[in-house]
Amino acid sequence: MAGKIRANSKSHIPRGSLFFEKIVPISLITMGIVTFALILFAAGVILGFVNF
Amino acid sequence: MSLNQILPFISTAVMAWFTVDVFQRFIVRRNPAFLFWGIGLAMFGAGSFAEAYLALAWNKWVFFVWYLFGAALNAAWLGHGTLYLLVRKSWRHGVTVILVAGSLFATYLMLQAIPKLDASVFTTDKPISEQYGTKALGEGEIAPTDAQTFTTTYRGNEVKAVRGLLPLGTPVRLTTPFFNIYGLLTLVGGAIYSAYLFWRKRVMPNRVIANVLIAAGALAIGFASTLTRLGYGEYLYLGELISAVMMFMGFRMAAKPQPDEAVEPSIIPASAD
Repeated sequence: MAGKIRANSKSHIPRGSLFFEKIVPISLITMGIVTFALILFAAGVILGFVNF
Repeated sequence: MSLNQILPFISTAVMAWFTVDVFQRFIVRRNPAFLFWGIGLAMFGAGSFAEAYLALAWNKWVFFVWYLFGAALNAAWLGHGTLYLLVRKSWRHGVTVILVAGSLFATYLMLQAIPKLDASVFTTDKPISEQYGTKALGEGEIAPTDAQTFTTTYRGNEVKAVRGLLPLGTPVRLTTPFFNIYGLLTLVGGAIYSAYLFWRKRVMPNRVIANVLIAAGALAIGFASTLTRLGYGEYLYLGELISAVMMFMGFRMAAKPQPDEAVEPSIIPASAD
């Protein structure tokens, strides 16, 4: 078990990586906003605000 | 044959490969999450194949498969798989019952709609996503130049409408947003949440990227479906192919052990440990 924990603990996000420090969080936030917008759209269809 | 007619064949091939991969994992691990993912992917693949078929010829049962599995149900079943990965509570079994009952109800409504289909509208010149629904035009809204329009009474008002295969106000179309909201919340929301957890803990970068790919892939099809509802159905097939490729890449990436993860390969697509 200890060996397993040690082995997995080596798999870390590199520090100072532009991809993980900037691009990933911005992507997650953007996708969260788009998801929310799509859910609102679908809710609009259900409630009759969006014509289909 | 146009590019838009070829894309569904490619999506079908990708989804078939993806589906077999996921079902193999279910057989080995007996994790229900993989079963729901596999069913959702099989639905996605069936929908893509139906699209490819409908680009060449008309068949009402192929249309049944396209609408029910491709447009209505697949996102919810995929998302339900993610729910099983993320949530260990017993209430998830209750959600399974609701999903199965809802899917059966949507199937019943779709069967009711089949005899009412207006097949005379069908043409292989346009993707099925651009001709499946009859749409009432709003005040001042102009019909596309090649559209067939008619005047009818809808919800007590006389409206001008663009003819489509499914009649105006077909009940099965009202069920689709419910499934898609659930699918978006669980599939995309689950992948974003998983990616965030790994990112916050600063562990398993492969799973961070994998979950970003799964979320982006699922959003691609959600976005394309929304554009279809708004009358831009020509982007649906491209969105499906992008979605299939990104989700498959994400799944494979999550499954691939990193060089220093020799002891416990991470095989879960959207889980939060």
